[in-house]
Amino acid sequence: MEIDNTFGPIDIAISGMRAQGKNMEVISSNVANARTTDVGNGEPYRRLETMLQADDDGIGGVSLDEIVPDMSDFPKILDPGNPNADEHGYVTMPNVNLPFEMINLNMAMRAYQANAAVLKRYQQMVETTLELLR
Amino acid sequence: MSKTNNIVDFLEAGLRAESLRQKAIANNIANLKTPGYRSIRVKFEELLSKALDSPGAIDLSEVKAEIYQPNTTPVKSNGNDVSLETEVGKMVKNSLRYKAYIRLLSQKYRQMELAINIAQK
Repeated sequence: MEIDNTFGPIDIAISGMRAQGKNMEVISSNVANARTTDVGNGEPYRRLETMLQADDDGIGGVSLDEIVPDMSDFPKILDPGNPNADEHGYVTMPNVNLPFEMINLNMAMRAYQANAAVLKRYQQMVETTLELLR
Repeated sequence: MSKTNNIVDFLEAGLRAESLRQKAIANNIANLKTPGYRSIRVKFEELLSKALDSPGAIDLSEVKAEIYQPNTTPVKSNGNDVSLETEVGKMVKNSLRYKAYIRLLSQKYRQMELAINIAQK
């Protein structure tokens, strides 16, 4: 990402907004698949997590590094009537924890808002300078 | 007359480029959901600096902003690569630059007006 000095903060804020937008996508996938017991290979849905990375060592934006699966164990619930149940009547459920996802959702939303606020404030700052040119 | 171009000419060229850029951004946002659409960008600053580096007279009306498609940004699943956030950021930057040029232009005209008024007295 190129950063020119005058508009650096704008590029950085935008990179933060994009990263949080992607994060939101991952969270919504987790929430939507919170009860998906089969993703096609017989395994339940595995929760995904976003890994963010700073663009530069110094001042710079953020970018999405990778989306990694959460390797924690799948919980099992007793539901003998379910067609996916094993011989003991247990169904393997996705390792999505809904309250946890809601917290992540809140944090993603707030982080997005924070980046948008930075963008807006910086725009106001530049406009203050432009007022001097009137 | 390479380095003696009028300030007004420079500002005019800049304003033309910025309004083309605004059109490109609007086009990108309009095609946010168009499958296979690749975003377009406007190249002007590079062309201007190249023109300024070359010896001899330059005609600023010849230095025109160009539209190009970078085709390097990662595409989404439908082959589209427009990011709303990026376009909004470009729009903010664009409007700030536009505002700066307009203010400078009006300053220049005010200067001229002042000179005319002094001559009248």
